[in-house]
Amino acid sequence: MDRRTFIKASAGAVAGTLLANQLTSALAQGGLEGEDLANLEKGLRQVLGKGFRDLTVSQQVKLVAPTIAESGANVPVEIEASLPADQVKAIHCFCDKNANPLLFTVILNGVLPYYATRVRVAETAPVRAVVETKDGRFLLASQSVRVTVGGCG
Amino acid sequence: MAINILIRFTPAKPKAGEEVRVQIVVQHPMEPGTRRDGTGKLIPADHINEVNVLFDNQLIAQVKPGPGTSANPLFAFKMRAAKAGQLKVTCKDLNGQTGEKTADLALA
Repeated sequence: MDRRTFIKASAGAVAGTLLANQLTSALAQGGLEGEDLANLEKGLRQVLGKGFRDLTVSQQVKLVAPTIAESGANVPVEIEASLPADQVKAIHCFCDKNANPLLFTVILNGVLPYYATRVRVAETAPVRAVVETKDGRFLLASQSVRVTVGGCG
Repeated sequence: MAINILIRFTPAKPKAGEEVRVQIVVQHPMEPGTRRDGTGKLIPADHINEVNVLFDNQLIAQVKPGPGTSANPLFAFKMRAAKAGQLKVTCKDLNGQTGEKTADLALA
């Protein structure tokens, strides 16, 4: 292999790894505890008509939830998007292992892109906040919540 | 029986243009439909499925909670206090019960 072909080949390889990295980071944010993408996908398709792959992981969405919840029946969740208020259309929230993965949907119309509530988490699983923008983007933030006593049984 | 709703503003009397946090608590058991009673029978689902928040009769937010929302749920929003007005919250559950509550937002 001469120098030129070597450079070409390695450039391709680097680009390939980058692409693969991006894909996996969108799919699994560092392997959260108790992920159940099959169940989540079901809920996502039902509500958004989109699967997990169509969502973009974004730093603009801030999800505050406890890492360990004593009781799954009452888990405080706070979602905040650092976007202008007129750009956010709705906030959806999902939990991977709940029988019904959709926790709630909030349609915002004139309030700031912030929402706080308390949710039930069936067992240790990630909670995911999906912020829907007016231009049709879906921004995702996830956090795993470890639950000692389930909240749905 | 009508559903009881509590509304609180933080700060209670914001300055014009200030961010105000609106906390709404609804007193409701929010049965998810997955729990069983003592004899092993499923308790039928009975949860709030719609909450509308209106400011001066204009819809500013709508929540559609699923079964995965806690009992006596809290719904908190943030809004800019541009003017004084009346906040109205209405909610509806699966059994068709409704609740309504108004609160006046006053500026400092």
